[in-house]
Amino acid sequence: MPLPFADVNIGLDKLNQVVGGKYRNTDTNGNAIVVEGISKRFRIPKEKKLTVFEHLVGLLGSGAASYDDFLALQDVSFTVKHGETFGVIGPNGCGKSTLLKVLAGVLYPDRGSVKINGKIAPFLELGVGFQPELSARDNVYLYGAIMGLTHKDVDQRYDEIMDFSELKRFENMKLRNFSSGMYVRLAFATAIQTNPDVMLVDEVLSVGDESFQKKCGEKIDEIRKAGKTILLVSHSLATVSKLCSRCLLMNHGGMVALGETEEVLADYERMRAASK
Amino acid sequence: MWIVEYRELIKILTISDLKVKYQSSVLGFAWSLLNPLLMMLVLYLVFNNVFKNNQNHFALYLLIGIISWRFLSIGTSASMMAIVGKPSLVTKIYIPRQVLVMSTVLSSFISSILEFLVLVPLLIILGAGVSPYILIFPLIHIIYFMIVYGISLILAALYVYYRDLNQIWDVLIQIGFFLSPIVYPLTTVPPQYLMYYMLNPITALMQMYRDVLLYHQPPALADVALTLAAALILMAAGTLVFKRLERRFAEEI
Repeated sequence: MPLPFADVNIGLDKLNQVVGGKYRNTDTNGNAIVVEGISKRFRIPKEKKLTVFEHLVGLLGSGAASYDDFLALQDVSFTVKHGETFGVIGPNGCGKSTLLKVLAGVLYPDRGSVKINGKIAPFLELGVGFQPELSARDNVYLYGAIMGLTHKDVDQRYDEIMDFSELKRFENMKLRNFSSGMYVRLAFATAIQTNPDVMLVDEVLSVGDESFQKKCGEKIDEIRKAGKTILLVSHSLATVSKLCSRCLLMNHGGMVALGETEEVLADYERMRAASK
Repeated sequence: MWIVEYRELIKILTISDLKVKYQSSVLGFAWSLLNPLLMMLVLYLVFNNVFKNNQNHFALYLLIGIISWRFLSIGTSASMMAIVGKPSLVTKIYIPRQVLVMSTVLSSFISSILEFLVLVPLLIILGAGVSPYILIFPLIHIIYFMIVYGISLILAALYVYYRDLNQIWDVLIQIGFFLSPIVYPLTTVPPQYLMYYMLNPITALMQMYRDVLLYHQPPALADVALTLAAALILMAAGTLVFKRLERRFAEEI
């Protein structure tokens, strides 16, 4: 039997096999998400160098570093069990979104490892890659392809997507004539059809009108009850306390509290009171 | 494997790239054929009259050189922008980023095939004819595709960090045009330099294209071996560089 987390201290090369979309079927000891000590450092250049010429000139200058470091994530570790809905909260700029991007595979962590068991659907932003000049129908196929679906997959789910988004009448209309509400409805309806095991959600629940929000909420509830794992990043403490069993509170890129939602929310209140 | 998994996305991106290329002007597709033909005409007038040469079917010789060169120059220049040109697909969602490079190279690859297709009737009209050796053409073109794809991976990844790379590459492509046997026959190369000259895999590729299309003979095995080796090395190097530089794409773009 393998030791739990036997390969925690893996090198960068190994790590990159794990991060970067190859999450499927990685050994996570029955957990859906295992995050081990990830850190992410951003470089904030003092002056932006974008050309070979500027880099050459930079070499001739003083030896001082031409950028400042900004630690967006500091040694963050947590696990999310299968079927759990896990919340991540914290003030603006605490590293929530960076964490989500690392989980999605968009950013590479400088240290630590991320393992996700199962197919992930990152809902960082809805409608990525939508093209205004194409019809709604073509965009559904395009967006499906971006989410890794084949043409046949989308064929099978097309009617359901149009039903859910209530946009059947507009399927041949160019997307640029859509209202922002219709746009988001189409994106959500398509994205939800990827049938993910793990969903990464970044505040997309607050889209569309009230009735559609309710519908999305119900759909996510349905997914939750079907035993899928959801990681939710949100500012809305009400949503978090309603949906999540456990929570992570972050501040300045580090972990402040991790545990039962109620306790973590209480910690958050105290933290906010203290900072005032 | 990402190619299989994301084949639908590769297909859609390639087709939309081709649509943009051919729908943006009235003449559309015709332009992409007129361009090499006009260029051939100019170069023919200059190099056939000013510099005397005894190359048979010099017009066709030129045209094969020009069309095959266009795949490299257009393919790499377009693919260089593949990552930077689609920032939302890099920063807002995870897809294997090679998909973006692959689809732009594929789009240039298809354009190149169309250009070669127009060459076939010209071979007949201008009296060179065609032979069964033309069936080897797809094989050569696939090797060429691998070479262009490998170079494109490196350029697309570097361009994210160095935005004046396109200027440098333009110059290199210009130099390459004259370092490859496009406008002059291979026999004009001084023998003492010929060994170094032949190291350029594009030279060997052009030899192969001319063998099967113009001279009606099988390509030399040495040429096949050299280009295939170059293709594999460039693909491996490209993948390696791309994988390494990909880590900070989302931050730098």
